[in-house]
Formats: sequence, structure tokens, C-alpha cells
Amino acid sequence: MADIPATTEPAAEAFGGRRARGGGQSTVRYLATKLGGGAISLALVAVLGFFLFRAMPGNPVRSVIEGRGSASYEEIKRIKAEWKMDEPLWTQFVDYMGDLLRGDLGTSIKYRAPVAELIGERFWWTILLTGTALLLAVALGLLLGSRAAWRHGSRFDRWSTGTALVLWSVPTFWLGLIMLVVFSVGLDLFPTAGMTTPGGVSGGWFAELLDVLHHLALPAITMTAVIYAQYLMVMRSSLLEEMNADYLTTARAKGLRDNLVRRRHAVPNALLPTITIIFLHMGLVVSGAVTVEKVFSWQGLGLLTYEAIGVPDYPLLQGTLIVLAAAVIVMNLLADVIYRFVDPRVRSA
Amino acid sequence: MSQPLLEFRDVSVHYRARAADTTAEEIHAVRGVSLSLAAGEKLGLAGESGCGKSTLAMSVLRLLPKSARLEGEILLDGEDISTMSWGRLRAVRWAAGSVVFQGAMNALNPVHRIGDQIAEPIRLHGSLGSSPSTSAVDRRVAELLEQVELPVERARAYPHELSGGQKQRVMIAMALACEPKLIIADEPTTALDVVVQAQVLDLMTRLVEERGIGLVMISHDLAVLASTCERLAVMYQGELVEQGESAAVIARPEHAHTKALAAAFPTVGDPVYRYAPATSSPLGLPEAPSTSDDEPAEPLLRTEDLRVTFGGTHAVAGVDLSVAPGEIVALVGQSGSGKTTLARAVLGLQRPTSGSVYFEGERVPRSASGLKAYRRQVQLVLQDPTSALNPRHSVYEAVAEGLRIHKVPGDEREHVAAALEAAELRPADRYMSVLPHELSGGQRQRVVIAGALALEPRLLVADEPVASLDASVRGEILALLLRLRARLGLAALVITHDLGLAWNIADRVAVMFRGELVEVGAVDSVLRSPSHSYTQSLLDALPSASVLGR
Repeated sequence: MADIPATTEPAAEAFGGRRARGGGQSTVRYLATKLGGGAISLALVAVLGFFLFRAMPGNPVRSVIEGRGSASYEEIKRIKAEWKMDEPLWTQFVDYMGDLLRGDLGTSIKYRAPVAELIGERFWWTILLTGTALLLAVALGLLLGSRAAWRHGSRFDRWSTGTALVLWSVPTFWLGLIMLVVFSVGLDLFPTAGMTTPGGVSGGWFAELLDVLHHLALPAITMTAVIYAQYLMVMRSSLLEEMNADYLTTARAKGLRDNLVRRRHAVPNALLPTITIIFLHMGLVVSGAVTVEKVFSWQGLGLLTYEAIGVPDYPLLQGTLIVLAAAVIVMNLLADVIYRFVDPRVRSA
Repeated sequence: MSQPLLEFRDVSVHYRARAADTTAEEIHAVRGVSLSLAAGEKLGLAGESGCGKSTLAMSVLRLLPKSARLEGEILLDGEDISTMSWGRLRAVRWAAGSVVFQGAMNALNPVHRIGDQIAEPIRLHGSLGSSPSTSAVDRRVAELLEQVELPVERARAYPHELSGGQKQRVMIAMALACEPKLIIADEPTTALDVVVQAQVLDLMTRLVEERGIGLVMISHDLAVLASTCERLAVMYQGELVEQGESAAVIARPEHAHTKALAAAFPTVGDPVYRYAPATSSPLGLPEAPSTSDDEPAEPLLRTEDLRVTFGGTHAVAGVDLSVAPGEIVALVGQSGSGKTTLARAVLGLQRPTSGSVYFEGERVPRSASGLKAYRRQVQLVLQDPTSALNPRHSVYEAVAEGLRIHKVPGDEREHVAAALEAAELRPADRYMSVLPHELSGGQRQRVVIAGALALEPRLLVADEPVASLDASVRGEILALLLRLRARLGLAALVITHDLGLAWNIADRVAVMFRGELVEVGAVDSVLRSPSHSYTQSLLDALPSASVLGR
């Protein structure tokens, strides 16, 4: 009795009304808080990245010189000066933060081009790959997960969760190589590397689109296969928790077909906790594409990061780190906003 | 009447036990029940939790879990439910017979608007033609909401925006949506407080009678059933042990279990039940305290103009309440009256906005360290022992925790054993290593009480101590409180919506309404001749079989 926050009926009405009015204002405040938090996180990432990468083993000057055979002491000095590496660390840091505030990500040591430009070129390719893989993985995971939970303990449940977990445990690069060996080298169905056919294809934009999709297939499928298990497992456990909910008995008592009980009543409720996790993973997946991009020579952010680590190319690494961190933060923010939108209880709270 | 609306013929339900450690054991939930209901008749199905009453009711629409096996025949309007095809069964569900679940709980889908949830069966069963227009369905939903006396705009509300009583009204509107011949109401008012319960029962009975709908109402509360239904059927351990006219069953119960159920809910004002909760314990009941009117010199606990304000809401609006040593005071009121907030403020769990609490004449400090010593003297017993106990802690751990926090000197094991003995969990040794899920509800509440007793407090604050317990256990726990008072001189502040409880054990009663104490006095005088209109309305709302008999 004590846990029902209602008095007599009219009083509850008044209470509900006041809450609804307060709702709009609190949404703005809520968003402002979240945005502020996101900005602070991003600033911390920028600071952390600066020191973290400089603590890494490796010397960019040596990498630059190695490309040219030998170098004199003067030349090393000149290169150091060019990258301002002869200055004390804290001056470098102040310069870097100053540039960052002006929106300047610096110049890449390896490519000798502005970092922002390099990231800009690669960004959309990564979005294409990870976006496709994510959509497939989420769709597959939610569909299989909800069906597995609905008939939990059945053969379908055992097989679908089993397969998903095996694929999840498989190293991405290994699965990628197997895919390459079987479908490219063996069956010759897909190209082995790259994002477009070298030299281009004739036949207008549609042919070019098909060409990109053809190249996209294997890396996207590989990535999907590895990551869909987490959506399946989350959806499955979330729906299992709802399985004994009383409102499902109500729905059944109404005479709904079992399928409708699942789709209309159980799944929308089970999706709620899933949303947060999906978006959280979305941010992470952008950075997680490194292995797939390397195996399939997909010219995306992951491959760029991978190549930058070898140098190590400090400005480029800092740039990609900020972009990836921003992706995670934005997705988190989006998850919170969407959650507020889809769950009526959070909306009015 | 040619044929009954609903007929159970020798119905049995078995559940396959799913636990791996037990060998393919079957639980016999319903044992050979035969029962019938005429069209338009109202039948009450009573019994404690686990007696099979819900299983029997759910079998009418074959809503049992997969592990259940149904035997016998269930005829709804002459058609056997148990052999029906799935397609036919789906058509019968809600259209021929619908269910009023405990709407106050989780029976409404939290993410759908209630209007859509009411409209769902209307569209599904084509009660307005095969593909009704949106406006026609909206009109019907509005009509239904009007019938249950809810504003039509509430159709756009989500369940969490409604109070318990409103949700129950939505459930009733939903049940009426397809104009069924039968409605099964499963504990329709259990989570509601007296006043709302009376309103909902009133509404449901009226609507059902107007339409000539047959009603099967399930409850553990005989008084509720007797005030609503013409006939009563009592179940015990899966069997139908007694049935007959409500008034007759209440007045002259034949089966021992019916007697226990009837006694568990005392008639307020009847001296037979005064200081006499239903108990079959061999320890018996202590003598009723002598009614002396002289006020003790110093109250054990006293609040002075205590106020708690949340935002603009005055949850507690200036309360002066006192509890004398060894006195049991019942704090009664509806949910939302502020009684739980008052209890929290008394315990120092809620910082009062103004006013103070005095314990043994001294002002209770507000600092954490100052409160610690005070809390040892004043212990809390919560409503639901299942959630109050950590499921992974053994009984010993649960009881010993307080001892450790307060660094009570002496042998811990001895203290725990003494506390368990005091809570009448005997022999104490047998209970120490047991985990909460291995205990019954009543035993769990005793563990909670033992945890409180371990610190040898002077005062127990009990928030609805028996509300989640079965009828027969209720009396035992109340009797325990009386015995503890007699033996240890333990005072208690019992927060409850249950006037019967106050009549059973309390010396004084304080009636709370909108944050204020509107009436405080001896139980005998307040509950027999209330002076405040709110107390009167609480008493009027009590379901009573005698009303039916008149």
C-alpha cells in the first residue's frame, strides 16, 4: 500500500497534471546537462590522448628518416624543429590545445597533409562499412534474439544463440581471412581488397554503386557476423525478463495470436533496455572497424589509425581519437534522447 | 435456467515441477473441482495464496503456463474449453469471457496508451463490425471510460500516469469492451486501500449487474467477497472445501479453513476480536492490557509539530504524535495520506522540514552518528519481507547484520539465537543457515522481526507488517507483536490502512488524512464512535458481510 504514490483519485489527477507541465522544462535542462557532460568528456579525451600517444614506444623522427636512407645530425634537428618536437612537452601541449580550440587538428607526419582533410576523406567510408554492418547486426540480432527468447529452451534458441556466440568468440581477422579465402580466392565471388575496382568501372553512377557494394559485401558480412551476437543476447535476456509480465497474460486473454502478443506487447517493452546498449555499441563499433579494414584494405578511419600507430603519427592519432571519442559520446547522447522519446515513463518523470 | 454459464466438471490442474533437482514431480494445483455459475450470477472464490484459486480461474480461458496440464471439462456457455481448437479459443477469449486482472500492478502494458489497450480487443473481435472506423472505435472507448467514471481525455494517458484505482477502472472498462457474458476478476482490489477498494467494488458490481454479466471474483479476503457476491466457494490446497450462500458461509463456516479465513479479517467494533488476532499458536494471547486512562509521565517517543514538505506538497503537515512505553499505536490512513513519510521522519530516514522528534524526552539528533544510537532503540519492520531480506544472506547473516553495525558486545551467535527465539523461530539453530527463499512468507516476516529484536529496541516501527501475508499468517504475526509487548515491554508504532489490524492489536489509533492527524484516541472509542468525518468514511468503506445480510 505504502508504495503506491497516489492519494484519492482527484488528488492524483492534479499531481499528474503538474508533472506533465514540468516535463518540457526538465527536458531542456536534461539535454543541457547531457551536452555539457559530453563536451567535458571530449576535452578530457583530447588531453589524455596527447600524453598517451607520447608515452607510446616508437619515434616518429626515426620513421621519417628510415624512409630516406640516412640522415645527418642537422637534418634530424631540422625535422624535429619542423614538428616542434624540440620544444618542451608542455609548450607542445599548449600549442596543440590552442590549435584544437581553433578547429585545427594539425598536420600528419606520415602523409604531410592536414589531419582534418585526411579524416574527412576516410570518415564516410568507415560510416558506410560500420553503418551497414551495424544495421544488419542490429536487425539480425533483435529478430533472432526475440524469437529465441520467445521459444526459449527450444532447438531454435539453442542453435541461434550457440552460433552467435561462436561467431562472437572468433577473432575478427581470422574470420575475415577465412571469408577471403573461401569467397574471393576460392569461389571468386568477391574482390579481395579495396573499396572500388582500380581504374574505375564504366556504365555510370549505378555501375559505380554496384561496384562499391560488391566490395562492401565481404567486410560488412564479416563485421556483422562478429558483432550481432551482442544484440541477440541483450534482446534475448531483455525479453526473457518480460516473459512473465502480467500484461502479456492480459494480451493473451484478449485473444491475440501468439505472434501479436510478442510483436505488439512484449518486444516494445523488451526493446527499451536494448536501446541504450545498441547505441553505446554503435559508438564503439566505429573504432572497432580497425581489424576488418586492415584485412580487407578498406580505406577507412580504422586503417588510417592503424597506419598512424606504426609511425607513430601524433597529430593524426590525436585527430582520429577525438573523432572516435566524439562518435561514442554522440551515440550515448542519442541513446538518452531516444530513450526519453520511446519510454513514456521516463518522458514524464 | 437451462444451462449454467460456466461449469467446471471434475477439473484438475497439474504443474510439472521445473526444478532440475526434483524428479519429474508434479504439483497438483487443482484437485477435482466441480462448480457452476448461472448467467448473471456472482460467485466469490476464496482461499490463500497457493490454494489453486487463480489457477482454476485462469483455466477458464486456458491461460495457464505451458507446464500446466488440465483434466476434466470446463464448459463456457455449453462449449468445452479444454478441447477447443486454438483458433476457436482465441475467438472465445475476451469476447465470451474477459478478465479483470490486478490493474494496479503490471497488468497494463506500460508503453501503450490506455485508450489503445481498451480498443485492442474491440478491433480484434470485431465487436463493431469487421473493420470499424477509427472514430467509431474512439467513440466506443470514450463510452467505456465514461461507464467506469474516468474522464474521456484519460484515453491518451499511459498506465504510470494513473493511480491504482484508476488503473483498476481501466481494467474494468477493458473487460467490458466486447460485452462478454462472463468476467473473471482476479484479486481486483488487493493493492488498493479501503476507500478506493469500496469505490471500485461498487462500480464493478453495478456494471456487472446492469448488464447481466456473470462474475467470478477471486480474493483472499472473505469480507470483500461476501459484500459483493451471492455465493462463496472456498478452496484449500487445490480442493473446493466449502461453498454456499455468502451470508451462510460467513456466519456458519463449516470447514476449519473457512473459519480461519473468516476470523482473519475481524469485524471492527466486535469485542470478540479486540486484542485477539486469529492465532492457532499454542503460546496463546496475552491478557488484554488494563485500560487505565492516566497518561504515563513521559512518552517513549514524541513528535512535535513535525513537517515534511516535498516541493509544494505537504506530506506531513504538523504532526504531534506520541507513543508511550509498551504501547501499541496504529497510524491509519489511505495511501498518500503521508503516514509512511511520517514513519520515515520518525526513524530519521527522512529529514523533516521542521519540527522535532523526541525519544525518552531527548531531542533526536539529525547527524548520522547521533542517529545511530537512536536507531538501535527504534527498529523498522517493512511490509514485504521478501524484498526486505537479501536473498543471498542466510537467516543468521540477516539477523546478525544489525549486531555488527552497532558493534553489540557479547557472543554474536547467542544474540542471534535469542532474537530468533524471541521471534518464535524455534529451534533457532535450525533456521540459522537457511536462505530466505526456503522460508514461507510468515517465517520471513519473523526473520525481519528477529533482525529488529536482536538489537533489543524499545520501539518497533512496522510499516504494513502483514499486508503482504496470507490471512492465516496475518493473525500469527499480530499475536507475536502482542506477546512481544507483554514479555519485553516493546512499544510499537504500526502503520496500516487496515482498520481491522488496529482493532486487533492497538491501544490507541491515530487517523491521518492529507498529512495531518485528524483524530487520535483509544481504539475502542475512535473506531466505535468516530468524531471526524474522515474516520467515519474509512469505517464506512470497510466491506462487511453483515451489510449483505441486512
